[in-house]
Amino acid sequence: MRKSLPYLLIAPSIIALLSLIIYPMGFALVNSFKFWNLQTSPVPLYDTGFDNYRMVFQVTPFTEALQNTLLLATLATLSQFLLGLGIALLLNTHLRGMTVARAILIMPTTIAPVVVGFLFRYLFAPNAGLVSWLLGAVGVAVPPQGLLGSPDTALLSVGIADTWQWTPFFAIVLYAGLLSIPEDIIDAARVDGASRLNLLWHIILPFLRPVAAFLIMIRFMQLFNSFDLVYVLTGGGPGTSSRTLSYNLYQEGLVNYNIGLTAAMTWLIVIIVTIIINIFIFTVFRRQEW
Amino acid sequence: MRNRNLLNRRDFLKMGATAGAALAGVPLLQRASAAPTRRAQPEATINVLTVGDPWDLALQNVADQFTEETGIGVNIESLGYVALQARLVNSFLTQTADADVVTVDQMWISQYADNGWIRSLDEFAAADSDTEIGDFLPEVLYSLSTWRDQLWTLPIAAYAQGIMYRTDLFEAAGLDELPATVAEAGNWTWERYFEILEQINGMEMDGTNFFGSVVIGAQPVPVVHMYTQLAASYGTRWFTQFPDAPWDFTPTINTPENLAALQDWVRLYNWSPPESINYLWFDAGTRFSEGDIGMFYHWTPYFYLVNNEGYLSGTPSPVVDRFKTAVLPTRTAGGEQTVSLGGWSLGMPSTTEKQDAAWQFIKWATGADAQKAMGQVNVAGFQFGDFSRLSLYEDSDLREIYPFLDTQLEMMRLGNGKIVRPPAPIYTSLEGVYGLNLNQAMTETVTPEQALETTQTLFQNILSGNNMIPYGVESFDDTLENAVALIERLSS
Repeated sequence: MRKSLPYLLIAPSIIALLSLIIYPMGFALVNSFKFWNLQTSPVPLYDTGFDNYRMVFQVTPFTEALQNTLLLATLATLSQFLLGLGIALLLNTHLRGMTVARAILIMPTTIAPVVVGFLFRYLFAPNAGLVSWLLGAVGVAVPPQGLLGSPDTALLSVGIADTWQWTPFFAIVLYAGLLSIPEDIIDAARVDGASRLNLLWHIILPFLRPVAAFLIMIRFMQLFNSFDLVYVLTGGGPGTSSRTLSYNLYQEGLVNYNIGLTAAMTWLIVIIVTIIINIFIFTVFRRQEW
Repeated sequence: MRNRNLLNRRDFLKMGATAGAALAGVPLLQRASAAPTRRAQPEATINVLTVGDPWDLALQNVADQFTEETGIGVNIESLGYVALQARLVNSFLTQTADADVVTVDQMWISQYADNGWIRSLDEFAAADSDTEIGDFLPEVLYSLSTWRDQLWTLPIAAYAQGIMYRTDLFEAAGLDELPATVAEAGNWTWERYFEILEQINGMEMDGTNFFGSVVIGAQPVPVVHMYTQLAASYGTRWFTQFPDAPWDFTPTINTPENLAALQDWVRLYNWSPPESINYLWFDAGTRFSEGDIGMFYHWTPYFYLVNNEGYLSGTPSPVVDRFKTAVLPTRTAGGEQTVSLGGWSLGMPSTTEKQDAAWQFIKWATGADAQKAMGQVNVAGFQFGDFSRLSLYEDSDLREIYPFLDTQLEMMRLGNGKIVRPPAPIYTSLEGVYGLNLNQAMTETVTPEQALETTQTLFQNILSGNNMIPYGVESFDDTLENAVALIERLSS
């Protein structure tokens, strides 16, 4: 019993892992090599080799979707981190009203992305939308077809909506990280004549590095799977200008019902995300045990 | 010292026993909680899955009449378009009797019929003479309900396409009224349509600056619905040979007539509000009802929906009594016309065990009495004039409510849902890439020539990849004449 107890204890985790991750991934892998389109047959018909992987590039805008996804994930994560850091530093100044600000700040993250999408559809509306009006008021030219209707601004608009929702998350978590920095180190640096910029660069940021890196990684992965906002705001358009990989998956899987093709696309995305995240981990955490 | 966070063996066993007892009790609890619910359900209650279109609201308003007449209870669940398709496919794949009657889009018929997911209604219709199948417009049954010489569904709402235009603006511009019937059409061509748009675009009347038209521009599906009407009028066909046998799905997208249609489509967009590049069906309809659009074409339900300020809002719009309907123009004067004919029909899933009750409901909901009752529902405005039966187009009560029925009927008579948006297997995939490229042509990121060339290549790849070229399965000569023969067979 003593020998088997550890195995018993980890068994639920293993079962959960197998049933929720390994099995679906294995199922997708097997089907990615089969011809299975529910528009023509309810069951897989035959093996196709790598045809589904080839078709991903031939019949779906996979390359455009990958470019859009990378652009959205990188720029939105970066802007959310920078804005979040700024807000966290502001919260840490102990000015009046910061307690209320903290309480209000968390609210956008609690709203469902679909609701955020509808909210921003109104804000971005070309004639009566607040954002369009504000941009016009400060002399920024809004495309005549609206921010969501122009290929030049559609993806950017999705990024803005996402940034509005998730910057507070960065701010709150980074603020918690700031609170964990020992005051005496900050005081010592100040006594030694360190400027605010020096404090930020040489003390605060190094202390925040593990938290920030983890946050960036999590948000990047979430943004890599962006679907809700794209679905509500632009439907991936105009053209393919805001189509993301997840939207591409949805289109092939839940609209076109091409299961084999969708399975192949899923695996391509898994491979890409795994490579990107491992490069990130190797770069950021290479000197740290985690 | 004992660590609080570590679990000892006794605690673990206690928790295991508790969890085991709980798990063992779950089925009992489920049975206990399910039992009263099951007893509360009458024996013959059927579940109906519908889609959130205007007709669905009308149906829900009159569904009690079915229960009064037959004693069969009805639970109607209304879903969005994509959710309905996902729910249906999921239930069919898992062989779950999720519903007894399902709403079927015309594009899904081939998929559902060929996969054996819905039951043929031939026997039911032939056995019940009161189905009055001969009263249905053959064009509607052909477009919405038949596949491979069998009847799979019965139509509950049929849509053609037609024109709506502002009479006050036309008067101000010195333009004649547009033809309401084909007999009056004479020189009514698309070129004339564009000339009028050019004239009224930018006109000012009563402080309103008018756009000539409005388009449904959103990709991938909505834009296809509107564009294909123009393309079909220009003579565009999707495949080398379909629905006539033998089927040859070699795509015919990159043709001179389709290029002319797409070039004119881009012109049409330039006379429309720029934001209409992202417009869905109801966005375009409600934009007309807002009062700054001169003329546009759309599905016929908008003949009555534009009377509302918003989509089914019930508030009269500024265009009430200021617009009329007209027939679609042809490419050449007096030339051939093909009208897009679509809509929804009711089918019976293979999984249902309540076949008789399901058939009773299908027959009732698509019958003349229920359809008339639906047409008379006045909640948030009248909201159902999408009749499939000829007798209803001649009904004086309905003609009073829906004064455009003659125009609508003329468009239905020229309708062919199997040509304009052919319900061939894998249509959905083709529609997806078509819509994407049409939308890109509108953004002018690609030229119409490039858009059609790309679409042609993608069609070829998709069709070849799905074993449709060459087509190895037996074809069926799917013509209107054969559909009429089927109707006669079932009627007799």
